[in-house]
Amino acid sequence: MNPYVLAILIASLGMGTTITFASSHWLLAWMGLEINTLAIIPLMSKQHHPRAVEATTKYFLTQATAAAMILFASTTNAWVTGTWNIAQLSDPTAVALISIALALKMGLAPAHFWLPEVLQGLDLTTGLILSTWQKLAPFALIIQISPNMHPAILTALGLCSTLVGGWGGLNQTQLRKILAYSSIAHLGWMIIVLQFAPQLTLLTLATYIVMTSAAFLTLKASSSTKINTLATAWTKAPSLAALATLSLLSLGGLPPLTGFMPKWLILQELTKQSLPLTATIMALSALLSLYFYLRLCYAMALTIAPNVNNSSAPWQLLSTQSTLPLALTTVAALALLPATPAVLAMLT
Amino acid sequence: MTPVHFSFSSAFILGLMGLAFHRTHLLSALLCLEGMMLSLFIALSLWSLQLEATGYSAAPMLLLAFSACEASAGLALLVATARTHGTDRLQNLNLLQC
Repeated sequence: MNPYVLAILIASLGMGTTITFASSHWLLAWMGLEINTLAIIPLMSKQHHPRAVEATTKYFLTQATAAAMILFASTTNAWVTGTWNIAQLSDPTAVALISIALALKMGLAPAHFWLPEVLQGLDLTTGLILSTWQKLAPFALIIQISPNMHPAILTALGLCSTLVGGWGGLNQTQLRKILAYSSIAHLGWMIIVLQFAPQLTLLTLATYIVMTSAAFLTLKASSSTKINTLATAWTKAPSLAALATLSLLSLGGLPPLTGFMPKWLILQELTKQSLPLTATIMALSALLSLYFYLRLCYAMALTIAPNVNNSSAPWQLLSTQSTLPLALTTVAALALLPATPAVLAMLT
Repeated sequence: MTPVHFSFSSAFILGLMGLAFHRTHLLSALLCLEGMMLSLFIALSLWSLQLEATGYSAAPMLLLAFSACEASAGLALLVATARTHGTDRLQNLNLLQC
């Protein structure tokens, strides 16, 4: 792609999210979302592969529908209450519609079907952008309207998301689909705690972004998109394969790693709000996710293919990928748990 | 609910229903999206007329500009799909299913 065009696209991608962050008016927030969608479409379809084009089309249709629903709900709110302010969204119909639209926009469970298919059609860099940067703008909106949202809708979305994210990933062999289902499950954790402690939602989003960046960058460094190729990833970079195992377990939420921090705090918050049943279901659904992360770890670190090693080493070119982001995100994904009090103090 | 509110809401919901339930051609999906955006255009114009909020009279034009961009992106994707899949039927977009 032409570097000038690429620079313009990346700049508009940043500008869309920034506009949504900075806006207090629904029309401006909608414009930011639209700029975001329109800017990532050429990035997604730049290889004219049928899968990429199909993923782009599906992404475009869902995002355009969700954005139109957001604008429709805010127009309804303006007709009923006369205000366009994001924080003053009070009409119940508008709130319910916007909850559904934002769920569709970021891929929460009953409206999640587009996410694995779209992510499967993209290359890993665009997939990384899709599963991190593109989540920020909808989250900025949903956190602003969370005081007015119905608690039952939030709980249902959160529980459904974690369960679907866990069940859906079990039978997948494609890494990007597994990461998409892991994204759905993490989004469920973020949504379930939104009504009690929005700062925990932010913390979960931040740690999820760090961990999923580490996972995507690792997969990109070993250029693997299937579980099969993970089994020979250690021939390319043995230390990276060992660390990737740990960052996958961090995504699963095992105690000494960063991924445990949001799960711990959210379960504590749910228990404090005397919702033990919800907390139990969330904790058990994390086990479902942990199963497929463990399967990836098994393929990556504990399997040696039953043939001679030098014949199993895949052909590879010298990688030109910058290793600094990979190193930073991997370290952050592994070792942030002792910094929990500092991170919490920063967010509250 | 005023008659105006009812009419643009039903127009939008009809468009949304068409998009959600009539899944044969990509072109019809794009037309449904465009219908939704036009009903929103009418809603925004009538809102600023009814409340005499002259400061908001630019909002419908901005909406129209953005929906035109969106429609052109959709048409570009229609062309791309026709070139890669040979047709614009949504049934053929099945390469990525689980």
